[in-house]
Amino acid sequence: MSCADVREQLGAYLDGEVPAAVAAAIAAHVEGCAACAALADRERALAAEVRAALPAWRAPDVLRARVREALRDAAPRAGAWRPTPWQGLVAAAAAVVLVVGTWIVATDRAAGAALTDDVLAAHVRSLMPGHLADVASTDQHTVKPWFDGRLDFSPPVTDEAAAGFPLLGGRLDYLGGRAVAALVYGRRLHRINVFVWPARSGSGGGGPAHAGRDGYFLEHWTAGGMTFWAVSDLNRAELVSFVRLLQQGGTGAPAAP
Amino acid sequence: MGPTELARFEEIVLPHLDDAYTLARYLVRDEHDAQDVVQEAYLRALRHFGTLRGDGRAWLLAIVRNCARTWRRGRRADAAATPFDEELHSGESAGDETERRLRRGEARERLRTALERLAPEFREAIVLRELHGLSYREIAQVTGSPVGTVMSRLARGRQKLLEALGPGEREAG
Repeated sequence: MSCADVREQLGAYLDGEVPAAVAAAIAAHVEGCAACAALADRERALAAEVRAALPAWRAPDVLRARVREALRDAAPRAGAWRPTPWQGLVAAAAAVVLVVGTWIVATDRAAGAALTDDVLAAHVRSLMPGHLADVASTDQHTVKPWFDGRLDFSPPVTDEAAAGFPLLGGRLDYLGGRAVAALVYGRRLHRINVFVWPARSGSGGGGPAHAGRDGYFLEHWTAGGMTFWAVSDLNRAELVSFVRLLQQGGTGAPAAP
Repeated sequence: MGPTELARFEEIVLPHLDDAYTLARYLVRDEHDAQDVVQEAYLRALRHFGTLRGDGRAWLLAIVRNCARTWRRGRRADAAATPFDEELHSGESAGDETERRLRRGEARERLRTALERLAPEFREAIVLRELHGLSYREIAQVTGSPVGTVMSRLARGRQKLLEALGPGEREAG
């Protein structure tokens, strides 16, 4: 090993940052080379001098207190907090919309991507306290007439309580640039939103038949001139079986406008 | 997530407050600015707590370092005409700490001044190595540089310090 080689790595050698074989070669060289040995001594002395001359500071108590206080103030906004229900839902909506948006970009850039986002956001929004239903009723004969005069179409409404998906109510929502019917169903503690609007309105097309990630699933189909979107955090198998119920139970049949 | 999450953050990250403050002191070279930088770094760390992998110390120091850089950029915009590596703070009498250190001798004072006058990338490498005792790999992680760059920055920085200490060196400042 030449002096130049040794000097190039002398600092790393003294820091214990060279491989063992290199360290052995440098050590052997330094032992037989007075000039390099002197340089090594000088480097060692400098390191000791730097540590002696430069204090490692102790954070002042006032800074410690400031930081603690700032952290406690910031914690509710920082993601490391227990969210109130609606904060959690807004965060979940943002996360889900982001994830689904990404998924759609990768699979289907066609029209419907924005609609899928909207459907998910509408679902999550509906779970905020007081937003779930404008008309809370388990009776399809109460829910269906409620939409009369509020929409320019009549959504099919059935109760699927017998199969374990009780109707909880309905409300108006706004999707794809128009007012739509939202039917709310329950499954244990889960909520399912079914959005319905006429397919012929031009805003019904587009969007994948299935979508979902991170605990939310969407099913999308068209039947009897109506576009349907079902959204829930329910597991996918149960959501699909629920969708089949709606489709087979005649709820997708054409409804008189 | 919950209130326990803040407690966990404090448990993992707060013990490194002295390290954070030390790095900030040497990077921004002002006691009060260093406190601001540290506070900002902790808030940023809390927001990005989810990205913490492994050692909280190097992770926090990287955030402190980035906050100090941001602070310096703002500072340079304020005082565009001031060459910040040369004259800034070099001859100051910055309060009690400095006066205490003055008693430690002229050589040490010269060394301190020389370190303050180093360009930030050399200064941070030396501080992280000698004061925080980080490995080259950890320094690379904190500064976002390859290990080879860390090595050459340390070598060049030490060379400059040796020159500052060497005989016949002009009076610092």
